[in-house]
Amino acid sequence: MEEKNLSKNESLELIARMIKETRNSMERGGGNIYLLWGYLWLVVALTIYGLLLYTGDYRATWLWFAMPLVGYPVMYFMLKSKKGGVVTFVGAVISKIWIVIGVCALLLSLFMFVNHNAFPIMFIMALLINAGVAMSGLVIKFKPTIIAGFVGILLSFSLLLIPGINQILVFAAFSVIMLIIPGHILNAASRKANAAGLDPKESSSKSNKVSNV
Amino acid sequence: MFKELDPLLHSQLRLAVMSLLISLEEADFVYLREKSGATAGNLSVQLEKLAQAQYIEVDKGYSGKRPRTTCRITPAGRAAFEAYVDALRSYTE
Repeated sequence: MEEKNLSKNESLELIARMIKETRNSMERGGGNIYLLWGYLWLVVALTIYGLLLYTGDYRATWLWFAMPLVGYPVMYFMLKSKKGGVVTFVGAVISKIWIVIGVCALLLSLFMFVNHNAFPIMFIMALLINAGVAMSGLVIKFKPTIIAGFVGILLSFSLLLIPGINQILVFAAFSVIMLIIPGHILNAASRKANAAGLDPKESSSKSNKVSNV
Repeated sequence: MFKELDPLLHSQLRLAVMSLLISLEEADFVYLREKSGATAGNLSVQLEKLAQAQYIEVDKGYSGKRPRTTCRITPAGRAAFEAYVDALRSYTE
Protein backbone atom coordinates (compact mmCIF):
# COMPACT_ATOMS: atom_id res chain seq x y z
CA MET A 1 0.00 0.00 0.00
CA GLU A 2 1.56 3.26 -1.10
CA GLU A 3 1.37 6.46 0.84
CA LYS A 4 -0.99 8.79 -0.97
CA ASN A 5 -3.78 11.18 -0.30
CA LEU A 6 -7.27 9.94 -0.74
CA SER A 7 -10.48 11.22 -2.19
CA LYS A 8 -13.48 11.18 0.16
CA ASN A 9 -14.98 8.16 -1.56
CA GLU A 10 -11.68 6.29 -1.48
CA SER A 11 -11.48 6.94 2.25
CA LEU A 12 -14.92 5.50 2.84
CA GLU A 13 -14.20 2.51 0.64
CA LEU A 14 -10.90 1.86 2.46
CA ILE A 15 -12.53 2.05 5.90
CA ALA A 16 -15.27 -0.37 4.84
CA ARG A 17 -12.76 -2.79 3.29
CA MET A 18 -10.46 -2.85 6.33
CA ILE A 19 -13.30 -3.31 8.80
CA LYS A 20 -14.53 -6.22 6.66
CA GLU A 21 -11.02 -7.74 6.78
CA THR A 22 -11.17 -7.93 10.57
CA ARG A 23 -14.36 -9.95 10.36
CA ASN A 24 -12.43 -12.76 8.69
CA SER A 25 -10.06 -13.07 11.63
CA MET A 26 -11.35 -16.27 13.11
CA GLU A 27 -8.57 -18.04 14.87
CA ARG A 28 -7.54 -21.52 13.78
CA GLY A 29 -8.06 -24.15 16.50
CA GLY A 30 -10.46 -21.97 18.49
CA GLY A 31 -11.91 -25.11 20.09
CA ASN A 32 -8.61 -26.27 21.61
CA ILE A 33 -9.24 -24.45 24.88
CA TYR A 34 -12.60 -26.22 25.19
CA LEU A 35 -10.86 -29.55 24.51
CA LEU A 36 -8.13 -28.87 27.06
CA TRP A 37 -10.61 -28.19 29.86
CA GLY A 38 -13.05 -30.88 28.66
CA TYR A 39 -10.54 -33.75 28.64
CA LEU A 40 -8.85 -32.56 31.83
CA TRP A 41 -12.22 -32.41 33.57
CA LEU A 42 -13.15 -35.89 32.30
CA VAL A 43 -9.89 -37.49 33.41
CA VAL A 44 -9.90 -35.82 36.85
CA ALA A 45 -13.57 -36.64 37.50
CA LEU A 46 -13.21 -40.29 36.53
CA THR A 47 -10.00 -40.62 38.58
CA ILE A 48 -11.73 -39.17 41.66
CA TYR A 49 -14.72 -41.44 41.11
CA GLY A 50 -12.45 -44.49 40.82
CA LEU A 51 -10.44 -43.57 43.92
CA LEU A 52 -13.57 -42.92 46.00
CA LEU A 53 -15.11 -46.16 44.82
CA TYR A 54 -12.10 -48.34 45.61
CA THR A 55 -10.54 -46.57 48.59
CA GLY A 56 -13.42 -44.57 50.10
CA ASP A 57 -10.89 -41.91 51.10
CA TYR A 58 -12.57 -38.50 50.80
CA ARG A 59 -9.17 -36.86 50.28
CA ALA A 60 -9.42 -38.06 46.68
CA THR A 61 -11.68 -35.02 46.11
CA TRP A 62 -8.64 -32.78 46.62
CA LEU A 63 -7.69 -33.88 43.12
CA TRP A 64 -10.17 -31.29 41.81
CA PHE A 65 -7.43 -28.77 42.44
CA ALA A 66 -5.39 -30.56 39.77
CA MET A 67 -7.70 -28.90 37.24
CA PRO A 68 -6.59 -25.28 37.79
CA LEU A 69 -3.03 -26.37 38.61
CA VAL A 70 -2.68 -28.21 35.29
CA GLY A 71 -5.25 -26.36 33.19
CA TYR A 72 -4.16 -22.75 33.68
CA PRO A 73 -0.44 -23.23 32.91
CA VAL A 74 -1.28 -25.31 29.81
CA MET A 75 -3.86 -22.74 28.69
CA TYR A 76 -1.35 -19.92 29.24
CA PHE A 77 1.20 -21.79 27.09
CA MET A 78 -1.39 -22.48 24.37
CA LEU A 79 -2.50 -18.83 24.21
CA LYS A 80 1.07 -17.57 24.21
CA SER A 81 2.21 -19.84 21.39
CA LYS A 82 -0.88 -19.16 19.31
CA LYS A 83 -0.30 -17.49 15.96
CA GLY A 84 -2.80 -15.10 14.45
CA GLY A 85 -1.62 -11.72 15.64
CA VAL A 86 -4.99 -10.39 16.56
CA VAL A 87 -7.29 -10.22 19.57
CA THR A 88 -10.89 -9.52 18.66
CA PHE A 89 -13.38 -7.86 21.02
CA VAL A 90 -15.28 -11.15 21.09
CA GLY A 91 -12.15 -13.03 22.16
CA ALA A 92 -11.49 -10.48 24.88
CA VAL A 93 -15.07 -10.70 26.18
CA ILE A 94 -14.90 -14.50 26.37
CA SER A 95 -11.59 -14.37 28.25
CA LYS A 96 -13.12 -12.03 30.80
CA ILE A 97 -16.20 -14.25 31.24
CA TRP A 98 -13.94 -17.22 32.04
CA ILE A 99 -11.69 -15.22 34.37
CA VAL A 100 -14.76 -14.31 36.47
CA ILE A 101 -16.03 -17.90 36.40
CA GLY A 102 -12.57 -19.22 37.29
CA VAL A 103 -12.32 -16.90 40.31
CA CYS A 104 -15.82 -17.89 41.51
CA ALA A 105 -15.04 -21.61 41.05
CA LEU A 106 -11.79 -21.27 42.99
CA LEU A 107 -13.45 -19.44 45.89
CA LEU A 108 -16.29 -21.98 46.02
CA SER A 109 -13.75 -24.82 46.10
CA LEU A 110 -11.68 -23.18 48.82
CA PHE A 111 -14.78 -22.58 50.94
CA MET A 112 -15.25 -26.35 51.03
CA PHE A 113 -12.27 -26.44 53.42
CA VAL A 114 -14.19 -24.13 55.78
CA ASN A 115 -17.51 -25.98 55.62
CA HIS A 116 -17.92 -28.85 53.21
CA ASN A 117 -21.68 -28.99 53.79
CA ALA A 118 -22.29 -25.30 53.14
CA PHE A 119 -23.78 -25.84 49.66
CA PRO A 120 -24.14 -28.60 47.04
CA ILE A 121 -20.77 -27.97 45.41
CA MET A 122 -21.29 -30.24 42.38
CA PHE A 123 -24.55 -28.52 41.49
CA ILE A 124 -23.18 -25.00 41.98
CA MET A 125 -20.03 -25.75 39.96
CA ALA A 126 -21.96 -27.38 37.12
CA LEU A 127 -24.42 -24.47 36.99
CA LEU A 128 -21.60 -21.93 37.01
CA ILE A 129 -19.56 -23.60 34.28
CA ASN A 130 -22.61 -24.35 32.13
CA ALA A 131 -23.62 -20.69 32.41
CA GLY A 132 -20.13 -19.80 31.16
CA VAL A 133 -20.45 -22.19 28.22
CA ALA A 134 -23.87 -20.77 27.30
CA MET A 135 -22.60 -17.16 27.54
CA SER A 136 -19.55 -17.97 25.41
CA GLY A 137 -21.76 -19.66 22.83
CA LEU A 138 -24.08 -16.65 22.67
CA VAL A 139 -21.14 -14.26 22.29
CA ILE A 140 -19.53 -16.21 19.44
CA LYS A 141 -22.95 -17.12 17.99
CA PHE A 142 -22.00 -20.78 17.77
CA LYS A 143 -25.08 -22.96 17.95
CA PRO A 144 -23.54 -26.20 19.33
CA THR A 145 -22.04 -24.30 22.27
CA ILE A 146 -25.27 -22.41 22.95
CA ILE A 147 -27.26 -25.66 22.95
CA ALA A 148 -24.62 -27.46 25.06
CA GLY A 149 -24.63 -24.62 27.60
CA PHE A 150 -28.38 -24.47 28.04
CA VAL A 151 -28.78 -28.26 28.07
CA GLY A 152 -26.02 -28.31 30.69
CA ILE A 153 -27.79 -25.66 32.80
CA LEU A 154 -30.92 -27.78 32.74
CA LEU A 155 -29.05 -31.02 33.51
CA SER A 156 -27.17 -29.35 36.38
CA PHE A 157 -30.33 -29.63 38.46
CA SER A 158 -30.16 -33.42 38.18
CA LEU A 159 -27.17 -33.22 40.53
CA LEU A 160 -29.59 -32.16 43.28
CA LEU A 161 -31.48 -35.42 42.81
CA ILE A 162 -28.62 -37.89 42.42
CA PRO A 163 -27.12 -39.18 45.68
CA GLY A 164 -23.51 -39.84 46.65
CA ILE A 165 -20.55 -40.36 44.39
CA ASN A 166 -22.73 -41.04 41.36
CA GLN A 167 -22.91 -37.24 41.09
CA ILE A 168 -19.30 -37.37 39.94
CA LEU A 169 -20.19 -39.60 36.99
CA VAL A 170 -22.88 -37.13 35.87
CA PHE A 171 -20.39 -34.30 36.42
CA ALA A 172 -17.89 -36.16 34.20
CA ALA A 173 -20.55 -36.57 31.50
CA PHE A 174 -21.03 -32.78 31.51
CA SER A 175 -17.47 -32.35 30.27
CA VAL A 176 -18.31 -34.37 27.16
CA ILE A 177 -21.59 -32.55 26.46
CA MET A 178 -20.43 -29.02 27.26
CA LEU A 179 -16.80 -28.91 26.21
CA ILE A 180 -15.50 -31.91 24.27
CA ILE A 181 -18.24 -32.19 21.62
CA PRO A 182 -18.57 -28.39 21.02
CA GLY A 183 -14.75 -28.12 21.00
CA HIS A 184 -14.40 -30.68 18.22
CA ILE A 185 -17.26 -29.11 16.23
CA LEU A 186 -15.73 -25.63 16.66
CA ASN A 187 -12.34 -26.84 15.42
CA ALA A 188 -13.92 -28.58 12.44
CA ALA A 189 -15.83 -25.39 11.52
CA SER A 190 -12.66 -23.32 11.98
CA ARG A 191 -10.60 -25.68 9.77
CA LYS A 192 -13.29 -25.61 7.08
CA ALA A 193 -13.54 -21.81 7.13
CA ASN A 194 -9.79 -21.27 7.08
CA ALA A 195 -9.25 -23.82 4.29
CA ALA A 196 -11.86 -22.08 2.17
CA GLY A 197 -10.46 -18.65 3.07
CA LEU A 198 -13.97 -17.49 3.77
CA ASP A 199 -15.68 -15.56 6.46
CA PRO A 200 -16.56 -18.34 8.91
CA LYS A 201 -20.03 -16.87 9.32
CA GLU A 202 -20.67 -17.24 5.62
CA SER A 203 -19.00 -20.63 5.24
CA SER A 204 -20.98 -22.23 8.03
CA SER A 205 -24.26 -20.39 7.63
CA LYS A 206 -26.10 -23.51 6.61
CA SER A 207 -25.21 -25.44 9.73
CA ASN A 208 -23.50 -23.51 12.49
CA LYS A 209 -22.61 -19.87 12.76
CA VAL A 210 -19.21 -18.93 14.11
CA SER A 211 -18.08 -15.38 14.56
CA ASN A 212 -14.64 -14.05 15.50
CA VAL A 213 -13.24 -15.89 18.49
CA MET B 1 -20.71 23.19 6.17
CA PHE B 2 -17.75 20.94 5.42
CA LYS B 3 -15.67 19.82 8.37
CA GLU B 4 -11.91 19.67 8.09
CA LEU B 5 -10.42 16.21 7.62
CA ASP B 6 -7.73 15.22 10.11
CA PRO B 7 -4.54 15.22 7.98
CA LEU B 8 -3.03 12.50 10.12
CA LEU B 9 -5.85 10.12 9.19
CA HIS B 10 -6.35 11.34 5.64
CA SER B 11 -3.59 9.15 4.29
CA GLN B 12 -4.06 5.70 2.86
CA LEU B 13 -1.94 3.55 5.14
CA ARG B 14 -2.63 5.37 8.40
CA LEU B 15 -6.36 5.26 7.69
CA ALA B 16 -6.12 1.54 6.87
CA VAL B 17 -4.35 0.84 10.16
CA MET B 18 -6.87 2.86 12.17
CA SER B 19 -9.77 1.16 10.37
CA LEU B 20 -8.34 -2.25 11.27
CA LEU B 21 -7.66 -1.33 14.89
CA ILE B 22 -11.05 0.31 15.43
CA SER B 23 -12.72 -3.12 15.24
CA LEU B 24 -10.15 -5.08 17.24
CA GLU B 25 -8.93 -5.25 20.81
CA GLU B 26 -5.34 -5.43 19.56
CA ALA B 27 -3.38 -6.54 16.51
CA ASP B 28 0.27 -7.30 15.93
CA PHE B 29 2.59 -5.82 13.33
CA VAL B 30 2.47 -8.88 11.04
CA TYR B 31 -1.32 -8.88 10.98
CA LEU B 32 -1.44 -5.16 10.14
CA ARG B 33 1.17 -5.61 7.40
CA GLU B 34 -0.71 -8.53 5.82
CA LYS B 35 -4.11 -6.85 5.93
CA SER B 36 -2.92 -3.43 4.75
CA GLY B 37 -0.54 -4.81 2.12
CA ALA B 38 2.11 -2.29 3.22
CA THR B 39 5.86 -2.82 3.36
CA ALA B 40 7.35 -3.32 6.82
CA GLY B 41 9.37 -0.10 6.59
CA ASN B 42 6.48 2.08 5.55
CA LEU B 43 4.19 0.53 8.15
CA SER B 44 6.76 1.17 10.91
CA VAL B 45 6.99 4.84 9.96
CA GLN B 46 3.22 5.31 9.87
CA LEU B 47 2.71 3.46 13.17
CA GLU B 48 5.28 5.76 14.73
CA LYS B 49 3.36 8.82 13.51
CA LEU B 50 0.08 7.47 14.90
CA ALA B 51 1.76 6.62 18.20
CA GLN B 52 3.30 10.11 18.45
CA ALA B 53 -0.17 11.60 18.03
CA GLN B 54 -1.31 9.18 20.78
CA TYR B 55 -3.89 7.66 18.44
CA ILE B 56 -2.46 4.19 19.07
CA GLU B 57 -0.39 2.44 21.73
CA VAL B 58 2.50 0.31 20.57
CA ASP B 59 3.90 -2.42 22.82
CA LYS B 60 7.14 -4.07 21.88
CA GLY B 61 7.43 -7.46 23.52
CA TYR B 62 8.15 -11.07 22.78
CA SER B 63 6.05 -14.07 21.72
CA GLY B 64 8.25 -16.91 22.93
CA LYS B 65 11.69 -15.93 21.66
CA ARG B 66 10.44 -13.88 18.73
CA PRO B 67 9.94 -10.12 19.01
CA ARG B 68 6.34 -9.06 18.67
CA THR B 69 4.95 -5.54 18.26
CA THR B 70 1.35 -5.14 19.34
CA CYS B 71 -0.84 -2.13 18.55
CA ARG B 72 -4.12 -0.99 19.99
CA ILE B 73 -6.22 2.10 19.46
CA THR B 74 -6.42 4.66 22.29
CA PRO B 75 -9.54 6.59 23.35
CA ALA B 76 -8.03 9.66 21.64
CA GLY B 77 -7.54 7.62 18.46
CA ARG B 78 -11.08 6.33 18.58
CA ALA B 79 -12.41 9.88 19.01
CA ALA B 80 -10.25 11.12 16.12
CA PHE B 81 -11.43 8.28 13.90
CA GLU B 82 -15.08 9.01 14.70
CA ALA B 83 -14.53 12.72 14.02
CA TYR B 84 -12.88 11.81 10.70
CA VAL B 85 -15.84 9.64 9.66
CA ASP B 86 -18.24 12.45 10.69
CA ALA B 87 -16.25 14.89 8.59
CA LEU B 88 -16.36 12.52 5.62
CA ARG B 89 -20.12 12.30 6.01
CA SER B 90 -20.42 16.07 5.82
CA TYR B 91 -18.86 15.87 2.33
CA THR B 92 -21.01 13.04 1.06
CA GLU B 93 -24.39 14.17 2.41
